[in-house]
Amino acid sequence: MTKHLNPMRIGIYVLLILFALLFLVPVYVLLASSLKTFAEVQDMSKLWVPPAGLHLESFRAAWSGIPEKGLRGLSRNLLNSVYLTVPATILSSLLGSLNGYVLAKWKFRGASVVFPLMLFGMFIPYQSVLIPLTQTLAAIGLGGTLWGLILVHVVYGIPITTLIFRNYYAEVPTDLIEAARIDGAGILSVYWRVLFPLSLPGFVVVIIWQFTNIWNEFLFAVSILQKPELQPITVALRNLAGSQIKEWNMVMAGTLIAAIPTLLVYIVLGRYFIRGLLAGSVKG
Amino acid sequence: MGSLSTYAGQVLSTLLAILVGVGGVAALYVVMDFLIGILPDKTQKRFRPWVFIGPLLIILTFYLVYPTLNTVYLSFLDASSEHYVGLENYIFAVTNPAMHIAFRNNLLWLVLLTALSVGLGLVIAVLTNQVRYEGVIKSFVFMPLAISFVGASVIWRFVYAYKPVNVPQIGLLNAMLTGVGLEPIAWLVNKATNNFALIAIGVWLQTGFCMVILSAAVKGIPTDILEAARVDGANGWQVFWRIIIPMISSTIAVVATTVVISALKAFDIVFVLTNGNRGTEVIANRMYKEMFSFLNFGRASAIAVILLLAIIPIMAINIRRFQEQEAMR
Repeated sequence: MTKHLNPMRIGIYVLLILFALLFLVPVYVLLASSLKTFAEVQDMSKLWVPPAGLHLESFRAAWSGIPEKGLRGLSRNLLNSVYLTVPATILSSLLGSLNGYVLAKWKFRGASVVFPLMLFGMFIPYQSVLIPLTQTLAAIGLGGTLWGLILVHVVYGIPITTLIFRNYYAEVPTDLIEAARIDGAGILSVYWRVLFPLSLPGFVVVIIWQFTNIWNEFLFAVSILQKPELQPITVALRNLAGSQIKEWNMVMAGTLIAAIPTLLVYIVLGRYFIRGLLAGSVKG
Repeated sequence: MGSLSTYAGQVLSTLLAILVGVGGVAALYVVMDFLIGILPDKTQKRFRPWVFIGPLLIILTFYLVYPTLNTVYLSFLDASSEHYVGLENYIFAVTNPAMHIAFRNNLLWLVLLTALSVGLGLVIAVLTNQVRYEGVIKSFVFMPLAISFVGASVIWRFVYAYKPVNVPQIGLLNAMLTGVGLEPIAWLVNKATNNFALIAIGVWLQTGFCMVILSAAVKGIPTDILEAARVDGANGWQVFWRIIIPMISSTIAVVATTVVISALKAFDIVFVLTNGNRGTEVIANRMYKEMFSFLNFGRASAIAVILLLAIIPIMAINIRRFQEQEAMR
């Protein structure tokens, strides 16, 4: 394809730069406002002006709160998100890997039941299970606890993790598995000896997918966890920004703090993140 | 803020959760693998996959099938799930004015969010394919995807913020409007703009997703086909409509169904920014309100069932497509 500049190409560049700016403006607002002081965010004439200096007071406020104004900090909630996301991600990935292996490599009749059920679990609006689910959690003593939310995220993560691993393992040559089976390896030792060592790329994709989804999830979190000190950061952020707050620099700093883990994943592991998206939507 | 020891305790209990979970899963499978090994060879072969898929089936039944059926059951009971009320909750759901607004808005979300995210995503995917610095532009469009719906809503609240006339505008859009001498607009309050303002946030979040997947499909089109068309004298416009679109139509369908489902499920943005007030109600938010604000489990369940029924046809399309893919394996 020709790469020299003609009016058409210039037009394409202008259009693309416009699109890029359109998508970047809110990110600029986020970054600039979070670095401003309270006085600065109140002044519209300085809206476009970058912050006068690197003011981190907003981050301190977002982290520890402003007790004299009755504003809670987000540090506790950030940790809650970690306590929630890490175990739920690891468990749902592991279960997805085991199930994906059985579905990919052991042909059996029940598979035709399992698949539609899993796709159902992927697309279902969570509203349609919410009431019985909260009641079930209460009945088994996990109502209103972080453990209950972990359980929910593990369960509702299984369909997608299973499908991604199933597609991943489908590419592994069946000969490898047959050879191990002839050597007398059972279903579990085949998994442990043959497939698990090959699974790292699959785990990277699934873990990124689960981590970002669980970290950003809101409906289950706001429905299951009522106590402010237990809520993950998405819920706490909504509560902070929902009040008639004037400290926009603090809110924006909080938003940035809440987004940093997923943004880091996206920046550092973007390639795998995209692969996860492709696996999650096109194949599943 | 908690003391150091509480944090240490929390970290320990998280580690414990992982250990117990992973250990439990491993132990379960090892024990079952052992038990199945005791059986005669023939039975072993038949039961083995079931033993491994069994826990999955039990979990899905207990946490997916059962709650869904239970929601259907609750939708025929009254607010406190005590008495059978027949179709009363459904009659409420289809006659209540607030629900009519919700239906209209979900339709608006469905049409606009899908058309705009898929359309913009496609245009950007095709255009970036023809220029240098492709990765830079794509990563900017893609960035919002890493941000939660809640975070995005909070950012956009600042973009849309409104102060009465003659008071300095802190919101981005209104500062721009007043900067060029126009009147500020209460984007999220004004009924002519608020739904569009909310949907725009969804477009901002999801265009990157559409773009990434469509871009992969566009790159999958063999270059000799595109070259052949150009040699035959087709211009860029014709190549786009006659070759690119037909060749990636199945990917467009996949992306569109994903966005349609997210439009039907729309909740976070509305809940955070307007809570469905002033004509912005959507089905999912109404369900949440009935459940938590009005404590009417019957109505909440009926609305949840309606939401599920709206999504089932799209789900069915996806399941069929998936099975076709399986048949081709």
